[in-house]
Amino acid sequence: MTSVKREKVWQDVIAVADLERGDATPVTFGRRELAIYDTQDGITVSLARCTHGAANLCDGYFDGIHIECPLHQGLFDARTGAAKAAPARIGLKMIEARVENGIVQIFI
Amino acid sequence: MTVQTPITQALQDGTITRRELKTLMQRSDRPGLTRLIGWILTVAITGTLVWMSMGTWWLLPAMFVHGIVLVHHFSLQHECCHYTAFKTRWLNDFFGNICGLIIFLPNRHFRYEHCDHHTYTQLKGKDPELIELPISVWKYLAYISAFPFWRMKFTEIARHVVGRLSDDEKRFIPKEEYATVFWEARIMVLFYLALLILCIATGWTAPLYYWFIPVFLGEPVMRAIRLTEHVGRPNISDMKENTRTNLVTWPMQFLCWNMNYHAEHHYAASVPFFALPELHEKLKDHVYIEKRGYLGAHIDIISQLIGIKPRSDAPSEPAR
Repeated sequence: MTSVKREKVWQDVIAVADLERGDATPVTFGRRELAIYDTQDGITVSLARCTHGAANLCDGYFDGIHIECPLHQGLFDARTGAAKAAPARIGLKMIEARVENGIVQIFI
Repeated sequence: MTVQTPITQALQDGTITRRELKTLMQRSDRPGLTRLIGWILTVAITGTLVWMSMGTWWLLPAMFVHGIVLVHHFSLQHECCHYTAFKTRWLNDFFGNICGLIIFLPNRHFRYEHCDHHTYTQLKGKDPELIELPISVWKYLAYISAFPFWRMKFTEIARHVVGRLSDDEKRFIPKEEYATVFWEARIMVLFYLALLILCIATGWTAPLYYWFIPVFLGEPVMRAIRLTEHVGRPNISDMKENTRTNLVTWPMQFLCWNMNYHAEHHYAASVPFFALPELHEKLKDHVYIEKRGYLGAHIDIISQLIGIKPRSDAPSEPAR
């Protein structure tokens, strides 16, 4: 039996107006927990759980560039997902995102 | 299993909205740096008291007062380990390490230990900073003497110098950070040894009178304050119950960087020290507050030890 891989498509996630301005907004998309960041360079999206301790990053401190884990204060660049400070070592899984007609969409 | 942070629990409680909490979580360099200036002045004033009392009977009381201020470097270090003393992250690391050097508390190790203290507050076998309700008044006094504390801390540092961790430490220190924890202990010990050699070689005694003796004299005060945070509160995960906020005088609040609002701090550890009074206003009817301050907390603890009040760690009566 061969499995058919589904083509990625752009899907609506949340209205820009509903985002927490200048912060990280938690969104559940299907079974995925997403973090939507209103960064200085635009909207970005990652899986919401910290790659170290699995806390939801949206509860952490966000300065417009870096998101800090609320559990151990590990640090990630919310624009690229790169791990920036211990104990975070593995980068965040980023999901391609765009804004269309006031709606945040992800390519998934 | 989904990991829940204390903040997640706080938000589920519904006492404070996400927007309110995020507003209170905003950081700034200014309040921390301003308080730091006041802090350095305070250390300078109590240090001057030691200098003025040299050769008199007032030396011991002066070193004790100076020591009370010095051991409160713990409060700044604690704030730095949450990265809330300053907005600029490296300032927290910098001052956290300086404070740790002053009070013999390696900063990175403390940071990870303290993270687990927040995740598992008051839970026996899980909270690495848990201070059990003493079994007797004598054990209570022994804890306040700070001898058990120093024995534990110096053993801990020695263990890290030789590159070893206890099983408990392996639980809360990430593997990637083992080397950092070992090297910070080694660097600290090398620094103390170098200072000791310098003192012996030159006959310089200032570190003894202005630093080491005051810290050891002052530590029992810090032990007594640390007891008031959780000891005598139940060993349960409910943040409304397991932590005690103490209403204290403004000099003590200054010294402890507002950490007397301890229940509020545990509610949301990402809220900086300067916003805790505001968080207290929002939560004061929701968390456990000791209006009589540190003294009241000790009356509560001793009452439990001598049987006037039920012990907080007593097993609950089985349901009939």
